[in-house]
Amino acid sequence: MMLAAIPLLPAAAFAVLAPMSRALRNSAKTVSLVAMTGSLVLALVAFAEVWSARGGEGTHAVFHAFLPIAPGHAFGFGLLLDPVSAVMLLVVTIVGLCVQVYSLGYMHTDERVGWYYAVLSLFSAAMLAVVLADNFLELYMAWEIMGLCSYLLIGFWHTEEGPRKASIKAFLTTRVGDVGFGLALAAMFALTGSFAFDVVLPASAGWAPGAATLVALLLLFAAMGKSAQFPLHVWLPDAMAGPTPASALIHAATMVAAGVYLVARALPVFVASGVALTVTLAIGIVTALLGGTLALVQHDIKKVLAYSTISQLGYMFVALGTASEVAALYHLVTHAFFKSLLFLGAGVIIHATHTQDMREMGGLRRKMPVTTAVFTVGALALAGVFPLSGFFSKDEILASLLRGGHYWFFAGALLAALLTAFYVTRLWVRVFWGTGSDHAHEGHRVMLAPMAVLAAITAVIGFASVAFAGFLGHEGEWPEVGLAAASTLTALGGIGAAWWVYSLGGVDTEALKARLKVPYDVLVQKYYMDALYEAAFVKPYEAAARALAAFDLGVIDGAVNGVATLWVRATQVSRNFDVNVIDGAVNGAADAVVEAGGKLRRLQTGRVQSYQRLIVGGLVLLLAWVMVLWPLLKAALKGA
Amino acid sequence: MRVGLEAFVMLATALFAVGLFGALSKRSAIMVLMSLELMANAVNILLVAASRYVTPATMDGWFFAVFSLVVSAAEIGLGLSLVLALYRKVRTAELDRLDTLKG
Repeated sequence: MMLAAIPLLPAAAFAVLAPMSRALRNSAKTVSLVAMTGSLVLALVAFAEVWSARGGEGTHAVFHAFLPIAPGHAFGFGLLLDPVSAVMLLVVTIVGLCVQVYSLGYMHTDERVGWYYAVLSLFSAAMLAVVLADNFLELYMAWEIMGLCSYLLIGFWHTEEGPRKASIKAFLTTRVGDVGFGLALAAMFALTGSFAFDVVLPASAGWAPGAATLVALLLLFAAMGKSAQFPLHVWLPDAMAGPTPASALIHAATMVAAGVYLVARALPVFVASGVALTVTLAIGIVTALLGGTLALVQHDIKKVLAYSTISQLGYMFVALGTASEVAALYHLVTHAFFKSLLFLGAGVIIHATHTQDMREMGGLRRKMPVTTAVFTVGALALAGVFPLSGFFSKDEILASLLRGGHYWFFAGALLAALLTAFYVTRLWVRVFWGTGSDHAHEGHRVMLAPMAVLAAITAVIGFASVAFAGFLGHEGEWPEVGLAAASTLTALGGIGAAWWVYSLGGVDTEALKARLKVPYDVLVQKYYMDALYEAAFVKPYEAAARALAAFDLGVIDGAVNGVATLWVRATQVSRNFDVNVIDGAVNGAADAVVEAGGKLRRLQTGRVQSYQRLIVGGLVLLLAWVMVLWPLLKAALKGA
Repeated sequence: MRVGLEAFVMLATALFAVGLFGALSKRSAIMVLMSLELMANAVNILLVAASRYVTPATMDGWFFAVFSLVVSAAEIGLGLSLVLALYRKVRTAELDRLDTLKG
């Protein structure tokens, strides 16, 4: 029951806040923060429980076997607490709480802050449900709620065109991947009659390779949508239109990592397939390089970080492609901390400079020393510099590539690391070095404190790498000296090159742009993928929508309106019959009575003598009838 | 010359006709009452004459005539008092002005 409270606390906060987000505008943050803190405490307890029972079985609590899905099959809502979910619980609750505290400062002027906290709570609940789910169907449900929250938060400022379009784009793109998830569910149910991890995953070893490949690739497709992998990555850069803390939580640390988590959970299916692992590896390396190259030419600080996130998620997929879930999850954890740190730092910088364009920034290190310090920790971790966490997790991925003998992919991963170091240094130099923003001011303490916490975690968590692997039941080892030297040299090379280009002015970037016009344009146009999708999907869809609208207006509405017109005509006829015939008869009768009454009333003079005359006249007529006419008539009849 | 029943019937009829004409045509309520009296007395004459010529032995008509006289007297008293009361109320005794019940 305690386990269920972890997602249910934020869910309850949402249930309270959502219907009265305006009325509870001022207390929303308290409700949300209390719920999140409760979740964090419970997650710590759960983690401690798993830690102390290392090597033992995970806690597996099934609540209710209800929702009969097919004859003889019932769907159970269950919660699974094993080392993986315990770690994920901690990551989600710590980053979630940091982001919520940070939002106190970042969002306090916003009109709809109540709604913001409500959705943030719902998101936390959904993400915690994702990592606690003990079967794929339950995971899918929570997965979709996360998608909804992502949509709501990207489009949080929905009065503006950009966020509105970005939210729709994100929703639809991830939905494309989710179709794969739905099909994967159907396939695994057809194969095993169950969705539960502990049924499906052990069974997958016995499947035909084709079946395993099908399920694995469908799951991978879902993960690619959620984790913004090539070619479904296009939504993530646009998702930066949302509030920056939400970007930090959802589009950097947690939700986009859910795809990695899903593949890590389903890794036995991928291993059974074999082919799916290679596909994962290829997708990962392509995404890592694509994100890294695109980050080079962005000027929007959040977009650089977004492409960086895509690239790092690609790195995690690379690790998954070598069947090394420890390396993938470890990079997920470290990335969650340092990337949310970078996003929160970007939020402070945007607050201070009132722009997201790095060309308008510069020299912030003098005005914002604390932000500079913590941001530098995050940036160095991202670049993979010893002794920060990114160094260790990246090293594990590189080591797993070498172990698997994927030397070409190893080279690609090193290149991606080089690109990472280069663009993050470019960002750092542009923002903190040089001169520019002279009127900037340091962020509020309530925003700096969560960043300091994340920076501290980022600084020390690298040394937990061996313990992490052991906790997940694998043999952990420290980086080899040679590999560590190679990756460090790569990182330093990237940093040095960027420093030389952007700080020392070693290369005239404008001249370089002019010389390398074609590749530069390709990068600025994001490999023309948005244009391609626009031409291949959006435009035909709009054309189809217009055609259908015309069909609707012309044919369907025409038919409906025709029927309505006929009906109106028919009622007019009916009305005329009513008015003229039926009412005519009734009114005619009434008119006749009135007419007759008008005529007869003249008899009623009110004078006694006129009545007397009538009586006398009547009497005379009566007498005439009785005494004269009647006898005459009788005689005449008799005579005849 | 012996006067026959026909003469009395003629007289009564004439008297009744005069009374009827007066009752139907006079404006004054008093005059109408007087005309009614004429008609009633025409009947009385007919009763007495019929008694004398048709049933001389029993003289039933006499009784009816006496009854009729008494009733006429009461009737005329009542009628006059009504006219008086009416006059007090509407300041007139002309019947064609009393048309409150006109429809």
